[in-house]
Amino acid sequence: MQSENGFYGQYGGSYIPEILYSSQQQILHAFEEAKNDPEFLAELNKQWQQFSGRPTPLTFCANLTEHFGGAQIYLKREDLNHSGAHKMNNVIGQGLLVKRMGKKRVIAETGAGQHGIATALVAARLGLECTIYMGAKDIERQYPNVFWMKQLGATVVPVTTGAQTLRDALDEALRDWSSSHEESHYLIGTSCGCAPFPEMVAYFQSVIGNEVREQSVAQFGQFPDRLYACVGGGSNACGLFLPFLDDKEVEMVGVEAGGKGLELGEHSIRLSHNLGQPGIAQGFATMFLQDDAGQLQETHSIAAGLDYVGVSPIIAHLAEIGRIKMTYAMDDEVIAACTLLLKKEGIIPALESSHALAGAFKDAPNLPKDSKIVINLSGRGDKDIFNVAKAVEDETFPQFLTDYLASYPTTQNKGDKA
Amino acid sequence: MSQLATFIEEKRQNKPILSMTHVVYGYPSVEESLSWMERLLEEGVDFIEVQFPFSDPVADGPSIVAACHKALEQKLDVETCLSQLGKIAKNFPDSRIVLMSYLNPMYRFGLDKLAKRAAEENILGLILPDLPIEQAATYQAACKANGIDPVWLVTPATPKDRLAMLAGQASGFLYCVARSGVTGHSVHEGKSKVNVLDDYLAEIKTHASAPMGVGFGLRHREQIEQLTGKADIAILGSALLDAFNKGGQEAGIKLIQDLFH
Repeated sequence: MQSENGFYGQYGGSYIPEILYSSQQQILHAFEEAKNDPEFLAELNKQWQQFSGRPTPLTFCANLTEHFGGAQIYLKREDLNHSGAHKMNNVIGQGLLVKRMGKKRVIAETGAGQHGIATALVAARLGLECTIYMGAKDIERQYPNVFWMKQLGATVVPVTTGAQTLRDALDEALRDWSSSHEESHYLIGTSCGCAPFPEMVAYFQSVIGNEVREQSVAQFGQFPDRLYACVGGGSNACGLFLPFLDDKEVEMVGVEAGGKGLELGEHSIRLSHNLGQPGIAQGFATMFLQDDAGQLQETHSIAAGLDYVGVSPIIAHLAEIGRIKMTYAMDDEVIAACTLLLKKEGIIPALESSHALAGAFKDAPNLPKDSKIVINLSGRGDKDIFNVAKAVEDETFPQFLTDYLASYPTTQNKGDKA
Repeated sequence: MSQLATFIEEKRQNKPILSMTHVVYGYPSVEESLSWMERLLEEGVDFIEVQFPFSDPVADGPSIVAACHKALEQKLDVETCLSQLGKIAKNFPDSRIVLMSYLNPMYRFGLDKLAKRAAEENILGLILPDLPIEQAATYQAACKANGIDPVWLVTPATPKDRLAMLAGQASGFLYCVARSGVTGHSVHEGKSKVNVLDDYLAEIKTHASAPMGVGFGLRHREQIEQLTGKADIAILGSALLDAFNKGGQEAGIKLIQDLFH
């Protein structure tokens, strides 16, 4: 979606410290040139295909469809990307842009760790130095991802300020960029931040919706009647929705994280029920969860990737004008949806994506039998093994962990060789 | 000429360089921060830059970030802050207070209202580091209507034509960021070479009719001496906060005496 000078209605823009002005302008120009350069686009498509395995399938879910007895349910399988999430689409695009700009280092923020891993993978492949900022609390929740980032050669910096989650990681990445802008690119992972990041990330993610346009017509002879995507920062939602923006008959539903409840601090619902308020922070204007004095507030979701205080200015605008309908799913509904997909279709969804499932499952029974819905399965759930085990109260998991620890080659077990 | 620029020019008749010391409002408590401001003014600093805390201060380094987060453990209110600063301003007519914050808390308060209330409390300058001049038309108009100055920042990374534009629009004073990075000591500290800073300040001077303040990374007497004759105000932020954290008001005052006397 084209912005007007970086704005989408009243949202977006570029509100950054003066020190970053030149670098922001450089990205703006580099992106404008790149997206009009057939060679860049050819390379992008090649890397999407050969490195990430695109196109990803559109999978019909016969059992779920029968289970609900309403709409025919399809999943867009972004979980089958290399790295296991849609994040790959964007990092490949921005990675190629970094090479084009001649920079040697990338900085990224990460919540669930999916964007961190994707960035570390691309950095390794393109020979770039890589520093990942991650909230200390998110590191606790998603250690397996941290482990892989480190193995890939990235430096993972725990952020211990504020609530120690994605929002703080983003602040810290901006601070790094303020000092390292000459040689570093800030490889933002979602369609947020200062212009042109929202537009650029949405552009690279739109490969999702563009594929669905072709696949839906090929597989069931029409565009989907309704699309569902979870909304954290908003990049997978932008990716699925934006290519259908002008097809008025295609409805769009964004699902935010209801968390544990609707009290401030218990959820990440920014775009419905008057819970978020317009604000300007972290480089852009959007709907933020904040108090009446304009201080950003803590958020919660069982899915670290949705636990963010702001939201894409593109999604905020489209929700405001009514093009996207916003809803939310609570933590327990999300676990139920995740479990149902496992049992019925043999697919392990990420907890982020399970929000989209939960939102769609609520509607599915009440939709006509001949209607077609597409849910964006933005990521796979392997990374959530610890959190899901805890949520479903798996009885043998603790024993596994105890045994694993007992056999773990700690310094003591190895003896003092140093 | 603006009230703030006039004040600076008059003061500069007798002083080679003026001092601006930074205080985080509400740190460690509202009362202690107000008493710290008064102590600094008694010491004779020319300016106090009061930072109204924001939860996500992206241009600041660890010292100021930690102070802002600590301050926000209590509920802070812009209106109360302005009237408290107004009282102090009245008691110390030989110095000036400027208010610094990030855009969001001020945007929520209302930028028009902010300009009006600041002027009423004799706070003659406002610094909002995340509001770019391109988005600031109504803010600039509100400041002008109320006779106060929006203070713009220039940095070593600012392109020359943009630097000329910002310097040309500067009123009150121009805040010249001395190096890349965020405020204070941190891992995100850009390098600045001595002669590069001199060239940078000389370049700004060719465009700026407003006085020049220099900040970011100042913590040694030699740095202040180096600025003398090239800038009008030396801005002391994180270094003062670090001293305060180590040894309270006395350590802070000692630093100021070491640097400026």
